[in-house]
Amino acid sequence: MKTNASRAFLSLALVLCVALGAGAQAKPVEIELWITGTASEAGPPPADWAGYRIVRETLGIEMKISLLPTSFTDQDTKIVTAAAANRLPDILHVNRDVFIKLTKQGLLAPVDELMKKMPTRTKTHYDDPLRNKLAMYKGKMYGLPDPGKMPMTDGWVIRKDWLDKLGLPAPNTIEDFYKVAKAFTQNDPDGNGKNDTYGFGAYIETSDITNWGLGVRFDPILGAYGVTGMWDVTSAKSFGLNVRKPEFYDAMTFVARLNKDGLIDPDWTTLKKDEFRARWKQGKYGIMRENFAALSTVANYPAFDKNFPDGEWIPIPPPVGPKGKSSEGMLYVDTRIHVVSKRAIDAGKGDAVAKLLEWFATDGYALAMFGEKGVNFTLDAEGNVSTAGLPDPEKSYAKAANVPVLQLRNLASVNSDWELLPRYVPHKTINGRTIRPLDIWRYFTKQPWTEATAALLIEPPANKADFERYYTENLVKFALGQQELSPASWKAFLAGLDKLGAKELEKSAKAKVEEAGLLK
Amino acid sequence: MRKSPGDAVFQFLVDNYLVVILILMVLPLWRVFMLSVTPQVDLSDRTFGMLVPPSRWSLAAYKQFLTHPSFLVAAGNSFLILGMGVSLSLFLTVPLAYVLSVRNLPGRRFLHTLVMIPFLFNPGLIPSYLVVTGLGLYDRLLAVVVPGAINVYNVFVMKNFFEGLPEELKEAARIDGASELYILFKVVIPLSKPILLTIGLFYGVHFWNDFFNAILYLGDARLQPLPILLRNILQAANFNEYVDIDVFSEARMESLKAASVFLTALPMLLIYPWIQRYFTKGTLSGGLKG
Repeated sequence: MKTNASRAFLSLALVLCVALGAGAQAKPVEIELWITGTASEAGPPPADWAGYRIVRETLGIEMKISLLPTSFTDQDTKIVTAAAANRLPDILHVNRDVFIKLTKQGLLAPVDELMKKMPTRTKTHYDDPLRNKLAMYKGKMYGLPDPGKMPMTDGWVIRKDWLDKLGLPAPNTIEDFYKVAKAFTQNDPDGNGKNDTYGFGAYIETSDITNWGLGVRFDPILGAYGVTGMWDVTSAKSFGLNVRKPEFYDAMTFVARLNKDGLIDPDWTTLKKDEFRARWKQGKYGIMRENFAALSTVANYPAFDKNFPDGEWIPIPPPVGPKGKSSEGMLYVDTRIHVVSKRAIDAGKGDAVAKLLEWFATDGYALAMFGEKGVNFTLDAEGNVSTAGLPDPEKSYAKAANVPVLQLRNLASVNSDWELLPRYVPHKTINGRTIRPLDIWRYFTKQPWTEATAALLIEPPANKADFERYYTENLVKFALGQQELSPASWKAFLAGLDKLGAKELEKSAKAKVEEAGLLK
Repeated sequence: MRKSPGDAVFQFLVDNYLVVILILMVLPLWRVFMLSVTPQVDLSDRTFGMLVPPSRWSLAAYKQFLTHPSFLVAAGNSFLILGMGVSLSLFLTVPLAYVLSVRNLPGRRFLHTLVMIPFLFNPGLIPSYLVVTGLGLYDRLLAVVVPGAINVYNVFVMKNFFEGLPEELKEAARIDGASELYILFKVVIPLSKPILLTIGLFYGVHFWNDFFNAILYLGDARLQPLPILLRNILQAANFNEYVDIDVFSEARMESLKAASVFLTALPMLLIYPWIQRYFTKGTLSGGLKG
């Protein structure tokens, strides 16, 4: 009797232990993520998103996701405030400046040990030494530098149908470019009998201190003279503002000539991006620097196709300058730095964080990129992503309404062919020609580029508004001929720049870039 | 009464000056509206900037917004924040202003000082963040409503208005045995429609436009109000060429930007004229007497 009672007691204890153990195991670890969504104007993943369930069931992790605001300033405010209150989430996306600030404050965990726990992700996501440097502080990695936007997306393109009509070869040198631009402007390449075309189309596209001045649409022209971009960061010896080089003066002389001879749309100084794009779609331009997706994707091409079914844009190499130089533009190794808070590691969440991030690079990769297989996408015979055979086509990953299930792409993306092909699908034009956007992008990537990743670290001076205005306005005036371009006026321009602190800016910029180990 | 030639000239100048001001105010709004209805084909022709013929208007941007779940959710949140915010603010401001307006209230000076302290010395962002998150309000709409529920400036404007009401009315009620609460609700508030609407409008504009608190405290995108969505759209326009799915794909981004600005401003534009007649009376009588 006593034995039976003991057995019963032991069995009960065992059952309780198992039940408690199971209960403890069933309680998921909560991981809070502050990340940048794929499209922040859309909503977050819905509550019934498969990712939540799979992560809970397979990894024992409960994800709590917050999408950061799109504006970097707003992101920084939110993160810095939470950091000051010691309430950072477990995983978050940060800009490099905030990354450095938080690392200095000791709020971020080193990631060396974490990376060992996610071998696949380390191999697929953190294999670029230059990119890794962007997530280092004093030689130690405190951030996970995930691949950012696609690189080398913008390049030099020309209207092939206009070349054919005028019997011209594609331009090779900068002088060839001038001649073709002149023919496109003056010889009625569209044959409508009107003088309504321009050889070259551009507008001032500047975003930060790497491209003040004429902006990135002029990069191939400046590249022909070896002065692409605002900064030369190619070596410690040549580091500094490109305007100090005599070649920049030569490049400006060429742009001024282009403008004086009316070969560039005269509205270029005031055009907005949308207006610029509306104009090339209406057949105003023959040569330009454009983004491959804006030029050729199924969403963007039809407006041009409808106007010019026989029109054809093709990529060509950027023009070669007098000294044999050429450049498609500035090449940045782009990254999204994800960091793990020290708070998360202190709370014992390190393993869960590593498991979750590894999952996004392995089993969860396809789910994050295209949604649920069989629901949001299917695979064709070659293993490529497709929407054929979906039970409910409305749930296709390609439908705008389903963007919320793709919001975590930034945690998974590596810009592989497998993920890019379904995003930039080949399509047929009205006259049956096939356009392959990725082929255009690949063409751009094979052209010469100017490595400029280090320039991303340069901070604007305290008198940013004055400096930028002086720099940009003067270059534009030189280009428009509103200010005489002569050695004396150029010297005066440079002297004015120095008065605004250009030398000090170059000195501090060089120190910062050297500190990050990005200067050869 | 016949106006002198000098008065007529003065009136003429004033009228014209006001017309110029009106044009300066209306032009940007008109430009935004025109941009919001400009179809893609007209974009490269700059003469269409200010005068797009109605026959060419494209309502694609408005259609995109009004039928998109994010916009409707954000608009719902904004109206909820507006409703909760204005109600809570008036609920707290009116009694406080009334108490401060009672001249013979014991400790009135101390109370006055107490109210003035946060007005003069802002506690700063981090302490506010700690308090709000410490109260468990993160990811709750109340986190946007509570921190701005009382505005000391509005309290003093309202207090001054209450002080301007005839003391005899309150005295008469007290003699009849009315409590202070009764006096507040049955005597003071019915006479304070202008100031209630004015201060309500001040609070309404604040809660409608506030995006900073929403950025700080609302991580769940389902709770975000219109200003956040608007800002995200404006920012997203800068790199939309890199995405394969444009959430608002059918309309031009410039039109979407303009439409979002117009739609966000519309409720306040509609409310202002309705409240205007009370507005001048409320601010003047509240602001001048001290």
